[in-house]
Amino acid sequence: MASEQSSGAARQWSATGWLFAWTLAWLVSLAVARFGPELVWGENAIAGWIAVGANLAVGVGWIIAFRRYLRSIDELQRKIQQDALGITLGIGWIVGFASFVAADAGLLPGGGLDVAVFTAGLGLVYLLAVGIGMVRYR
Amino acid sequence: MRNRIASLRADRGLTQAALAQRIEVSRQTINAIETGKFDPSLPVAFRLAREFDLAIEEIFLAD
Repeated sequence: MASEQSSGAARQWSATGWLFAWTLAWLVSLAVARFGPELVWGENAIAGWIAVGANLAVGVGWIIAFRRYLRSIDELQRKIQQDALGITLGIGWIVGFASFVAADAGLLPGGGLDVAVFTAGLGLVYLLAVGIGMVRYR
Repeated sequence: MRNRIASLRADRGLTQAALAQRIEVSRQTINAIETGKFDPSLPVAFRLAREFDLAIEEIFLAD
């Protein structure tokens, strides 16, 4: 039993580590795809598509890592994650579509939400929601 | 749903952390179950029942 518990804890640490690594990789690949045309390869379309493809491929790895992480944690932690993801998805969906509509109507001077600000904002919402969940079930 | 886990655990001299380790959940989960903030899944309820050598309905009580 003790070895099963320690292997469970080891599995959770491993899954958390992999999730962190894939999250970091996705952020880096997003930054490369976003800023590469301005800073590195200019108007080279092939380089641009390779960067976007890499971002999508890393994104798939990130999803798999997140799934493994969710499977490694216990049911209360999973509920906290589920609530946080629901809030983040809801806010992202609502703010994202409102931004599209406002940008299409010409109401936003800058042409809509900046992808970096939007991503960082959703990350903050997710972290805040997880923190609230941890306090709520403390 | 109410439960008797805190008193059963105290009777056996177990800390929340020790019970959590035996049931294979986090200490936070045991605390949340004891305080009625979180209802466990059936597998965890069965593990608790097995740990205390009681039937599930002797541990968990409907409101």
